[in-house]
Amino acid sequence: MGHLASGGGRSPGASLSVPVGGRAKALPWWRTPSVRRYLFGYTLLAPAVLYVGVLVGAPFLFSLYLALSDASVGAPVARFVGLENFTSALETGVFWTAVRNTLVFTVGAAVMKGFLGTTLAFLLVQPFKGRRVVRGLVVIPFTIPIAISVLGWKWMFDSQFSVLNWALSGLGLIGEYGTPDWPVWLGQPMLALASVMFVNVWRSFPFSAIVLLAGMTSVSPEIIDAAKVDGATFMQRFRKIIVPMIAPILFVGAAFDTVFTLSDLSIVYLLTNGGPDGATEILPTLAYNTGIRGGALGRGAAISLFLFPLLLPAMVLLLRTLRRRQY
Amino acid sequence: MVVVAQRAPWSRRAKEIRRHTLIYVGLTPYLVIAVFPILWMLITALKQEPDLYRMDVVPFWFHLPPTLKNFEFLFQRTFYGDWLVNTLSISLFVSAITLLTAVPAGYALARLRLPFAENLGIAIFMTYLVPAIILFIPLSRVVSELGLQDTWWSLVVVYPTFTIPFCTWLLMGFFKTVPFEIEEAAMIDGCGQFGALLRVVLPVSWPGVITSVIFSFTLSMQDFLYSLAFVSISEQKPVPLGVATELIRGDVYFWGSLMAGALLVGVPVAIVYNLFLDKFITGITGAAIK
Repeated sequence: MGHLASGGGRSPGASLSVPVGGRAKALPWWRTPSVRRYLFGYTLLAPAVLYVGVLVGAPFLFSLYLALSDASVGAPVARFVGLENFTSALETGVFWTAVRNTLVFTVGAAVMKGFLGTTLAFLLVQPFKGRRVVRGLVVIPFTIPIAISVLGWKWMFDSQFSVLNWALSGLGLIGEYGTPDWPVWLGQPMLALASVMFVNVWRSFPFSAIVLLAGMTSVSPEIIDAAKVDGATFMQRFRKIIVPMIAPILFVGAAFDTVFTLSDLSIVYLLTNGGPDGATEILPTLAYNTGIRGGALGRGAAISLFLFPLLLPAMVLLLRTLRRRQY
Repeated sequence: MVVVAQRAPWSRRAKEIRRHTLIYVGLTPYLVIAVFPILWMLITALKQEPDLYRMDVVPFWFHLPPTLKNFEFLFQRTFYGDWLVNTLSISLFVSAITLLTAVPAGYALARLRLPFAENLGIAIFMTYLVPAIILFIPLSRVVSELGLQDTWWSLVVVYPTFTIPFCTWLLMGFFKTVPFEIEEAAMIDGCGQFGALLRVVLPVSWPGVITSVIFSFTLSMQDFLYSLAFVSISEQKPVPLGVATELIRGDVYFWGSLMAGALLVGVPVAIVYNLFLDKFITGITGAAIK
């Protein structure tokens, strides 16, 4: 970046009204060019900042308050109960199941989409005929609304008419319908967890690939060539040039994906709603079922806030990457 | 030397073909994984009911003639028409709110050299990352205080919480690329700063504005939690929620019409999103590339 024209950081307001000599003194402070520019600027910013402040900032604080109260859908007046919602959540078995599943889900899925995304990116970075078409097709899972594609998966995981089972059984990999060797994807605890994870991977691996691809193509060939001329080996070029250059973009992509994965409810809610017997219960489904279905707003808010420490690393990482970019 | 020079083009072609073959073979599994579920949904949507529940024949093709009955069912026997109208109305209002707030904000952050502009921009963008799962319970209170419970208007109020941060960030990038000179020229010609924004900067930034509208639409379509938590009346639901919750009777899933209803909206959204995907990626990672 840094074209000379814009690099100076001029602004039209500043360059047009340079105060000259005595006239500057005659202006009251609120009419000086920079103050007027600030006023104009903050007025333009106000609607967005207010909207986000009122509907993201305030609710966030409000959820802290709710979590410390016994608020419920039925009772209009909430009582302050301290940390009771948190401690009572910690005492239930289903909460710990949800925490464990959330971690397994997030980490396991991240590893899988990392692998699929990286290998796909290395394929897509090559020049070949039909690349645009292939790219367009391969990103469909990411672009189609998640609640909609999950319905397709629900049908594919059907206990009897699963097309996956039909194919696997045809290949002789699983047994006949009705035998114990016929997998009921959403009905057996381990399989159910694997299935919801797989749908998350299916949705996100194109995103990983595209982000990585964007990073790879942002490394200019001149730098690579220069390194080659200087005698750097492939591994050296990869470790010393490509990785450091695409690391920031990878962090951002990973942070986004982690936030999405940790907070997404639709896959589990629509496929299993936490079942069978809590095998796929994750913090989002637990928070929803406690807070909205069960009507215990305070408890629900407390459970969803347990996600925050898990989200925090991703957000800090992102913040640091964004801030480092500044000049 | 001569021999080598003559043989070179042919062997280069052979090498190219070999390279292409390897790449295509490598890509096949990814393509199958990505596209098959959608194809399967499409086949299901076009199948007759009895054709769906047979285990003795290859399920990948039609054994009874394809039918549009599942689509007719949606419009005649369900609220699908209402859901479509709701979805479009929500998108329209969300886009309007987003543009009215994000355009001025993006402009101010990119252009006016305000103190703390960079940090403020990052702060606004970070709110995009505060997930719905943390906000939906307090927002359910907000929605009921506003008297919007069980109407799609609740979603019009709530969706800008993620479209405004994203689009402000996106537009900031667009406005940074508009040369200062044309704005100065307009101001010399007698426009105020606001006039210059309206008459000169906006017209040349229209790709950014259109991109913002697209994302207001596609990002709204990705939501499930807010609509699930706030809207429970059938006629008020947006399409994804309606399809996911209303086409089931007890334990019985109407798979044909479920898939039909899902694809009818899912495919256009996927196509539009696809066309703008690079802008989305630049939007979120542009920050990380110098």
